[in-house]
Amino acid sequence: MTFTSLLLQQTINGLSLGAMYALLALGFTLVYGILELINFSHFNVFMVGSFIALWVLQLFGLTGQDVILTGLPLAMVLLVAFVVTMTASGVIGVVIERLCLRPLRNVKGPAAMITTIGVSYILFNIILLWVGAQALNYPNPLPPVKFNVYGATLDVRVVLIWAVAMVLMVALHLFVQKSRIGKAMRATAQDPEAARMMGVEVDRVVVMAFFLGSALAGAAGLIFGLYYNFTSFIIGFTAGLRAFTAAVLGGIGNVPGAMLGGIIIGLVEALGGQIAGAWSDVIIFSILVLVLVFKPSGLLGRMAPNKS
Amino acid sequence: MSSALTLLARPIAWMPEARRRQLGLAILTVFAVTFPVWHNNDADIDSMANAASYAVLALGLNIVVGFAGLLDLGYAAFFAIGAYTYGILSSFQLQPAWSEFWVPFQWLGLVTKMAGDSGDASVVHFTLSFWLALPFSAAFAAFWGIVFGAPTLRLRGDYLAIVTLGFGEIVPIVVRNWDSLTNGAAGLNGVAAPRLFGWSFGVDATPYYYVAIVMVALLIFISIRLRDSRIGRAWMAIREDEIAAGAMGVNLTRFKLLAFAIGAAFGSMTGVFYVAKLQTATPDMFGFPVSVMILVMVVFGGIGSVWGVVVGAFILQLLQSWWLEDLTGWINAFGHMVGNRWLQHVDLVPSIELIFGFILVGMMLFRRQGLIPAVRPQAALSFDQQHAVVQRGGFTDLKLQGLGGDVRTGAAAMEVKGVTVRFGGLTALNAVDITVPNGSVVAVIGPNGSGKSTLFNVITGLVPAEGGSIRFHGEELLGLPPHEILRKGVARTFQNLRLFPNLTVMENALIGQHARLTTGVFRAILRPPGTRAEEDAARTWAMEIFAIFGNRLAPRVTQMVSGLSYANRRRIEIARALASRPRILLLDEPTAGMNPAETLELAEQIKSLNALGLTVLLIEHKLDVVTTLADTVYVLDHGEVIAYGRPDEVRRNEEVLRAYLGRNAQAAAAGVA
Amino acid sequence: MLLEFRHIDTYYGDLHVLKDVNYAIEEGEIIALLGGNACGKSTTMKTIMGVVRPARGQVIYQGQPIERLPTSERVRRGIAPVLEARRLFPRMTVFENLEMGAYLRKRGPEFDQDLERVFTLFPRVKERREQIAGTLSGGEQQMVAMGRALMARPKLLCMDEPSMGLSPLYVEQVFDIIQEINRQGTTIFMVEQNANMALSIAHRAYVLQTGQVVLSGSASELRRNPLIREAYLGEMQVAQPLV
Repeated sequence: MTFTSLLLQQTINGLSLGAMYALLALGFTLVYGILELINFSHFNVFMVGSFIALWVLQLFGLTGQDVILTGLPLAMVLLVAFVVTMTASGVIGVVIERLCLRPLRNVKGPAAMITTIGVSYILFNIILLWVGAQALNYPNPLPPVKFNVYGATLDVRVVLIWAVAMVLMVALHLFVQKSRIGKAMRATAQDPEAARMMGVEVDRVVVMAFFLGSALAGAAGLIFGLYYNFTSFIIGFTAGLRAFTAAVLGGIGNVPGAMLGGIIIGLVEALGGQIAGAWSDVIIFSILVLVLVFKPSGLLGRMAPNKS
Repeated sequence: MSSALTLLARPIAWMPEARRRQLGLAILTVFAVTFPVWHNNDADIDSMANAASYAVLALGLNIVVGFAGLLDLGYAAFFAIGAYTYGILSSFQLQPAWSEFWVPFQWLGLVTKMAGDSGDASVVHFTLSFWLALPFSAAFAAFWGIVFGAPTLRLRGDYLAIVTLGFGEIVPIVVRNWDSLTNGAAGLNGVAAPRLFGWSFGVDATPYYYVAIVMVALLIFISIRLRDSRIGRAWMAIREDEIAAGAMGVNLTRFKLLAFAIGAAFGSMTGVFYVAKLQTATPDMFGFPVSVMILVMVVFGGIGSVWGVVVGAFILQLLQSWWLEDLTGWINAFGHMVGNRWLQHVDLVPSIELIFGFILVGMMLFRRQGLIPAVRPQAALSFDQQHAVVQRGGFTDLKLQGLGGDVRTGAAAMEVKGVTVRFGGLTALNAVDITVPNGSVVAVIGPNGSGKSTLFNVITGLVPAEGGSIRFHGEELLGLPPHEILRKGVARTFQNLRLFPNLTVMENALIGQHARLTTGVFRAILRPPGTRAEEDAARTWAMEIFAIFGNRLAPRVTQMVSGLSYANRRRIEIARALASRPRILLLDEPTAGMNPAETLELAEQIKSLNALGLTVLLIEHKLDVVTTLADTVYVLDHGEVIAYGRPDEVRRNEEVLRAYLGRNAQAAAAGVA
Repeated sequence: MLLEFRHIDTYYGDLHVLKDVNYAIEEGEIIALLGGNACGKSTTMKTIMGVVRPARGQVIYQGQPIERLPTSERVRRGIAPVLEARRLFPRMTVFENLEMGAYLRKRGPEFDQDLERVFTLFPRVKERREQIAGTLSGGEQQMVAMGRALMARPKLLCMDEPSMGLSPLYVEQVFDIIQEINRQGTTIFMVEQNANMALSIAHRAYVLQTGQVVLSGSASELRRNPLIREAYLGEMQVAQPLV
């Protein structure tokens, strides 16, 4: 491969990864913006979502790479898979909030964050104990159509991923900007007490944020499976740290920032992986540490207000 | 049997608390020392040794998270540093070519000369002794803790947690990928076992067990000594309220780094021990799951509680190595009995992490203080203290040495000149000039939002100024950090009360003296007579300060501050500031929320303090208090001084009245002043 | 009687912030709550809005006790706040802030009517409807804050220190508008430090000092009463109310 086509290939890969990380980071940042809570369990909701999607696809009789669908059946299967996965993930998120986090809403200190670490562990280990440590194969119902772009390969799968991610991000953006609850979410993030005095019920806003964020995580989980053709119990941890770095890089609590951060981290991982291989992990973590030390508000974000 | 127990129970119930504790400690010690003798199962002894080493890790994390309140999610990194330091320097991993350079090290016993693999040239074989590795790795890890902590410890809580998590991940990845140094994922092997007087520990668990027990005992001792010392108090002050801690003279950066470094030292020593026992080290032993496990032990046992985290570590480690297996066996047998296939085959051992998850969630929701909550050691109240009748203060007979002593010479104690403070677009203070003469009482009054608290904040270094100067006895205060300003003799109280809520009255006052006491880490641990004398003197001084407030505070010195009445909490805040032996006392609305009787009492107490020679700068809006106390009054409005003079002059001043009661808009528009 | 406080006692921890406080606000009135620093004015506002619950006593609104009702329910019944220091949503536009004021209401002809009314009262707000709220000046923000509250079509408008941080010119405008709003039929309960301005438009007033009502009466009476100065400057002992 020539250098340009290699570069192009990795850019394509990077954008695909970036789309997935952006969705994950978005969901994470939605919750942080309102509660200022670092929700560790978010990334294992992503992992669980990926398994839920797998089981939905298997219910359709899709296993392995042999069954190929096109046209309407393909669209239906994918639609159902996404809707079911996102809804189920959203519900999981709401249950987590209701049972484990709402009681701690007014407790100062790291109690809520520590609880999310615990929930994260619970999700992780339930899947590990139930499914096992083996990676499971993801069915690939898409026809093996590839496009040649100046020497780089563009798989139709990648096009699908970009399309889905775009649709979801635009939908979320519109929701947050235009809908009544979306505006209530933004208002609550900016001044919860004033929002309350406008009649906003903060509890409901929080539930909505968790639902949406977890639904996005579920979608990202399905995308992971389609892209990598496998899923396993560990993906929450590995993808999670990258998405987390993306959220921080873009500006934690900032919605466009999460999207921008996701794309940047995706590109860093793809291009960096080409160059440095195993050290890409260290690069990503170093970005995280450096951003937090030198510019905690991120590229686009406002500084989250200090808790006194 | 039961009668024998009752025979035993009686004398125990009669024993005073302290004796009971000593007895308990003695029994525990005997048990620990003789355990390998009467339970001669090597695997079990090994498990106990592991449990003890995890207890040390928990103690180390407890200092960082429990004492100082710094959430560290990457603690295993220090564990790794210690492990690999010893591992590399006592195995065959590194074999540089032999040269003259290595001779002195050979002479010290740190390296030996060995025949190289290729037969001809000699190579170095590192043979760092286990016993030397312990302190060396402690220092090495502490060094890295400081390097990492210096730029990051000022981040707020959740950001710090993330950064430490990142660090905790970077270290094992570096280890995994730096093959030449660490042998990568395959891990180090051939790590030397410890040698004592020429005899190698080998693979028998018993000697390791005893080393572990000694380590735990030593580190429990160090933790307790630190906790009850000036150092521990400074850490807890940081944990409870950083801003107040700084204002009371605690050097935030230094103490945070200290906690981090000591935690790192504990962690790395455990790493050395662990690797010496296993004689191997792999990167998987030090990842995020290990950091979380240690955190679970701390949370389970009791954040901030020394014995709590030790018990927590033992319980969870033994759960993993003993009880889950046994429990699995019972459940399997039960499954056979009832014919349930799932029960017959279920294995609980790999579910330990699931259990950890449930423990974290459960403890946070239902018992945040942990199994054994951190205990504040209380001295018993004497009969007199318990039955003290409340009396008013005033104290011509009390000798408060080291407080005030400044004579009214007319010279300025503090001069604020041209100070401007801006927050974004808002000008909070505009070229403000205030002079506080030595030995006087100066009051600052003004309506809401006029900048009074900002004035205090800029004097005490909590807020930066854009221009001007603040001189205190000739020294410039602008630009100094808050703890430095306290050291120079400027002490303050806060309008909204910033006490340390989970500490006792006495401890709050002792933290006020932080800058005047000199005990450092080593003397805190060893507690030589000089340190003991210093602590006693500090307590005596605190009691003298409490006596200023009659009998309101003295009988309650061992009570937690959060349980006291509002007025008493205001008094403690003043006492805490006084304890630092200030030359000027800045009081921010000291009588807020007090009824007229309490207000009068406090005003008299402040007057007495001033009579002793303490300069006072006072924010007040009760004008009767101001009139009684102040020599000069400054009136602030919208960040500017609009009037100053004697209280009676200021009261009659029309400008002042308008500032308070509000301008009539037409009058203002017409230019009538 | 639109709003009443009956023997309200409020505590923050063990700090007794409101001590046996009684207010009576008739429909159509402008009532001012005056007093110096830290006397309980803000707490009164928070008690009305439901952010703070009283330990004892009743808050009666339109004949119903509301002290246990959540904030959203009180807004639904027609109580709207103009918050201290405005507290607009800084990164939302002026228009979105107005929309938030009408959060509990449906879109429709009534919403449009109220929007027109706000734009008429505050032409500057109309000009800047697409501007980000945080970039407006203090005076303009105060206009938006009042407009936001009016979008709830309240029966009772609670204003917390409307003159705080405003230049004298804006203060005058704001108080003129408050009178206009009252003329259009909204009852106003106003916490204010600027006693002179407040008394120039209020019908009646209460004066608080360290949580107790020390003076009350018609505005004209209080304007002439020298004791007001003492209450503000913190010198008064608890006196008999004049009314």
